[in-house]
Amino acid sequence: MSFSLILKDELKGFYKSKVMIFLWIGLPILALLVHISTSNSVEGMPISLLTSMLVSSIGGLLASVMLTVNIINEKDTRVFDLFLIRPIKRWYLLVSKFLAVYICVSIACILAISFGIMIDFFESEILLDFVMKGIIDSFIMTLSVIAISSAVGILIGVISPSIVVGVVLVIFVGNYVSSIPAIIPLVFNMDNPVTIVLVIGVIITIILMSLGIILFNKKEF
Amino acid sequence: MEKTIRCPNCSKTTTCTGSPGETKKLTCPSCGAIGKVTFEDIKDSTSEPALVSLRNISKRYKDILAVDNVSFDIKQGEIFGYIGPNGAGKTTTIKIMVGLLNKTSGNLSINGYQMPEQKEHAHRFIGYMPQEVGFQKWRTTNHALTTFGKLSGMNNTSIQQRIDENLKLLNLTEYKHKKISKLSGGTIQKLGIVQALLHNPKLLILDEPLSGLDPESRYQVKKILKELSNNGTTVFFSSHILSDVEDVATKICILDWGHIVKIGSLDELKSEFLKENQIELILSKRSDKFNEIGKISGVQKIIEKSSQKILVNIEKTGDTDEIIHNIIKTLMENNCRIRSITPTEPSLDEVYQYYLRKGGVKQ
Repeated sequence: MSFSLILKDELKGFYKSKVMIFLWIGLPILALLVHISTSNSVEGMPISLLTSMLVSSIGGLLASVMLTVNIINEKDTRVFDLFLIRPIKRWYLLVSKFLAVYICVSIACILAISFGIMIDFFESEILLDFVMKGIIDSFIMTLSVIAISSAVGILIGVISPSIVVGVVLVIFVGNYVSSIPAIIPLVFNMDNPVTIVLVIGVIITIILMSLGIILFNKKEF
Repeated sequence: MEKTIRCPNCSKTTTCTGSPGETKKLTCPSCGAIGKVTFEDIKDSTSEPALVSLRNISKRYKDILAVDNVSFDIKQGEIFGYIGPNGAGKTTTIKIMVGLLNKTSGNLSINGYQMPEQKEHAHRFIGYMPQEVGFQKWRTTNHALTTFGKLSGMNNTSIQQRIDENLKLLNLTEYKHKKISKLSGGTIQKLGIVQALLHNPKLLILDEPLSGLDPESRYQVKKILKELSNNGTTVFFSSHILSDVEDVATKICILDWGHIVKIGSLDELKSEFLKENQIELILSKRSDKFNEIGKISGVQKIIEKSSQKILVNIEKTGDTDEIIHNIIKTLMENNCRIRSITPTEPSLDEVYQYYLRKGGVKQ
């Protein structure tokens, strides 16, 4: 009951935030602009694939920065105090933030990619079947990257003393850690890289989240 | 209740009746000596278990001992004022009490639950307002309060009723649907009190609840605290505004450098501070004959504050009423016209300064 209430509230808070508005509207527009500006130089590059690439590079970074800034800000402004003195588990707060951002960013990515597919469909010069598998693979990898980045954002948010330190850390550490699942299948030349990326993504996310929760439980406010 | 008193003058006993907490003037039927009798408060005279019990609580941050062996009990219905200079350890103690900080050593129980081990149970009984009240800015007042109500275990029907009641209590009804980001600092402060009161907690812990409030709001909050106490709610609050503590607290604890300097009721704190009772005399017209009162037995010292204002120090052990009677009599015999005569009492501020000077040990 308490967890679903906090999750619902966090979702409400995040989907109305300025960053999310940028993701909901800005990401498809950005993809369209890139498509228009490169339509002459990158012959035949479908907008859906372009969007998918854009989303995978921006989505994870935005998720981690959003979470880090949000957690540090709520620590600084004593927002957590009023939650922590109520009969709830501390991990509810972190997991609900993680899920809220993960869900919001994932939906924004789906919207952006769907927008791209729609444009490609109307332009009808590109074989959608041909690019569809690439888009789905890329999207699954993106989901994995967003999950890891979000977990990094949570962990750094919990341990960082200030927003500046947190953002710098999350940009560097988040980028490195979230690229691990994509690198491993390449290094070991694996047959089914998408599944491997997904499995590694889940494992790294669970490890990082657990670490964040343990540290948050020990934290003094 | 009934009390049997032995007259210190003639040793005859007499019985008188009064209500708990009442102080009555008593005249000995045998020798006519006048004295005072106080009937103890029922709460203090029973062996009622403490709602909050701190035993040798200490908190160390590396090489700084923020709270040093603090022990006290708070009984149900008490208003416990926690005062001390900046950095004395007030907020640290409060945060340990609500489970936001871990104690280094000692035992703490709230309503029978050990803290921090059983804090999820204890939190059901606690309403807490931190020194800096932080709400998520994107919420409206009603949304924030509804969430806190639900998290405190309230049901949906009672939440809205309690929100309306408490917002009205603090004149915040007009802000019910406003975004928190649009509220002023003072309004957020009052909203902090509302969220603490929402679930009708048994124990209310408030860290500097009156700072930042205008005089009218301070008066309202103090009135609310007194009403809550009368209804059985226990209030623990820290404050720098000593006159406010003096107005509402039934028990006061002075903290300095992490340790308790003095604890007791305001009267108990004052009684040690007062070596002598003092009265203030204002004469209608200046006259040198007022010095005659210096000859009265029990008068310790006369201080001439101005041409008409005189302070008279009276022996604490003497019969104050009798001495005042003699002072009036002497002044009238010497044709000194009295405009007013008032027993003066030290303020909490004076008492506080006295105990800090006396007991403050710097580390």
